[in-house]
Amino acid sequence: MIDTTILQFLAAPFAASLIVTGIHAYLGVHVVERGVIFVDLSLAQIAALGATIAILLPFTDGDPHGPGVYWMSLGFTFIGAAVFSLVHSQRARIPQEAFIGISYAVASAGTIVAMSHSTSQADHLKDMLVGNILAVSWSEVFQTALLYGAIGLFHYVFRKQFLRISTDRAAAVAEGMRVRFWDFLFYASFGLVVTRSVSIAGVLLVFCYLIVPSVAAMLYADRLGPRLAIGWTMGTVVSILGMYFSVLFDLPTGATIVCTFGVVLILMAIVRRAVFGRA
Amino acid sequence: MGARILSMLTVAGLAVAASGTASAASPPAAPLKVVATTEDLGSLAREVGGDKVTVDVFSRGYQDPHVVDPKPSFILKLVSADLLIVVGRELEIGWLPPLLTQSRNAKLQPGGQGHLDASQNVKILDIPAGQITRAMGDVHPSGNPHYWLDPDNGRLIAQAMKDKFSQLAPADAAYFAQRYADFDRRLTEAQKRWDAAMAPFKGAKIVTYHRSWPNFVDHFGLNVIGYVEPKPGIPPSPSHTIDLIREMKAQQVKVILVEPYWDLRTPQAIARDAGGEVLVMPPSVGGVPEAKDYIALFDFDVNLLVATFKKVGISR
Repeated sequence: MIDTTILQFLAAPFAASLIVTGIHAYLGVHVVERGVIFVDLSLAQIAALGATIAILLPFTDGDPHGPGVYWMSLGFTFIGAAVFSLVHSQRARIPQEAFIGISYAVASAGTIVAMSHSTSQADHLKDMLVGNILAVSWSEVFQTALLYGAIGLFHYVFRKQFLRISTDRAAAVAEGMRVRFWDFLFYASFGLVVTRSVSIAGVLLVFCYLIVPSVAAMLYADRLGPRLAIGWTMGTVVSILGMYFSVLFDLPTGATIVCTFGVVLILMAIVRRAVFGRA
Repeated sequence: MGARILSMLTVAGLAVAASGTASAASPPAAPLKVVATTEDLGSLAREVGGDKVTVDVFSRGYQDPHVVDPKPSFILKLVSADLLIVVGRELEIGWLPPLLTQSRNAKLQPGGQGHLDASQNVKILDIPAGQITRAMGDVHPSGNPHYWLDPDNGRLIAQAMKDKFSQLAPADAAYFAQRYADFDRRLTEAQKRWDAAMAPFKGAKIVTYHRSWPNFVDHFGLNVIGYVEPKPGIPPSPSHTIDLIREMKAQQVKVILVEPYWDLRTPQAIARDAGGEVLVMPPSVGGVPEAKDYIALFDFDVNLLVATFKKVGISR
């Protein structure tokens, strides 16, 4: 039996998970179409490197939640976005995932090197940059909702351009679109979202919210509309289930939601096979 | 001010008297709900509180108390708790503050009636003097948080708990005082045993993985000549490792002390080169099944250390 007093404390995390589902299931469609699956991990790591370096600089006073740290990590995210939009060359024999992987490795190692030069306040830096969805507050939920609302609107206004490049890059280039410019806008807005999401929900959870609903939707639909609908539904259902299991069995909430994503995806794949046969 | 305290005491005294007369008819007061962040604090709270308190603990003894993955039950426990006991000195800074805010339990917030920072009146080591600069290396700005590993500090922590429990449940003050006195007596007994066992090894040189043992080595008069990983999670540079091995050889240091939650590969490689032993020693109650309470923890650690010193042939 579940103690109902926990429900009022799960309200903010649940609202946060809905907001995260809303924007990530959409961005996930782009990310999967572009085949840049690990771009969020890479951008999050680049942002973390920026935050670490900022904390080591005297102007931030070592306060990991201060404005200096935030702007520095945002600046690094934009540099990362610029790099990802530039390295995508047309006749690329080198897949873009290679650059994303390299950025991830170098940024991770850079963080370790930077931390080795700090006083031990940086011991806890990693934990402080990576949020825990259970501990999210209402003010964080509202700020995040405003930010994601603005970015969502931006993507809605320019949906044609973003979708064209994500689904058929060669055609977009042939039509004379400024692909690099749009790529930068895509990765920069994406970086803003990921940095924020990681700070409230943690790396693993954000990755799942981005990729799993999108992949699950592709099992059942090809057109964008249905894919988004399936992705959003799945994200919401998994959030509810994951939090329920987390309370029922008293497990760490973020990790439980991640595992629930995995299980639900497997179930969806089995059902698809049973209903529609071999594809 | 004095008058106010006096009047508060009078009220408390009346309350005690009232509850004393009422207790004959009404059932005994519910036990104090205590939440402690580590098993060491939990064990001490049980020693002092007996059956007049219930104790819940967040971080298990075999886990690194710096990093705890919060579960929903943590919030529920904080919501209904009367008292939260923390290690303090920034040990729980990575995970506790947001949970505490979330719980919206006003008593438990720092500075509140139900918030006890166990580090307040104990002996804290490694407090940096003056401005902290990066050149100083690994520094906890507010001192080393592993202070419970000195039995004299354990006594002081228990004393602070006795005072806090008595303040929150004045009716049971005599009970807590008696439990504390009993613990104090057993701890003093045990200390004689530990001090005697460790006496032959006073001044013995060791290496530790991380700065978790300054209070322990301070109490037993050991001599730490270096650290395997000066910063947790950051692999040491090759020159640091080579210097450490050279030092160990030069000073005939044979023992490397490691907490159970660190990877043993680096210390083992160093021990192989320097011809020493890696000793995994629990720094917390519950770190191994035998260390089931505060006194048992020291029994276990002292026995282990003495056995290892004898094995490598160290005396002094």
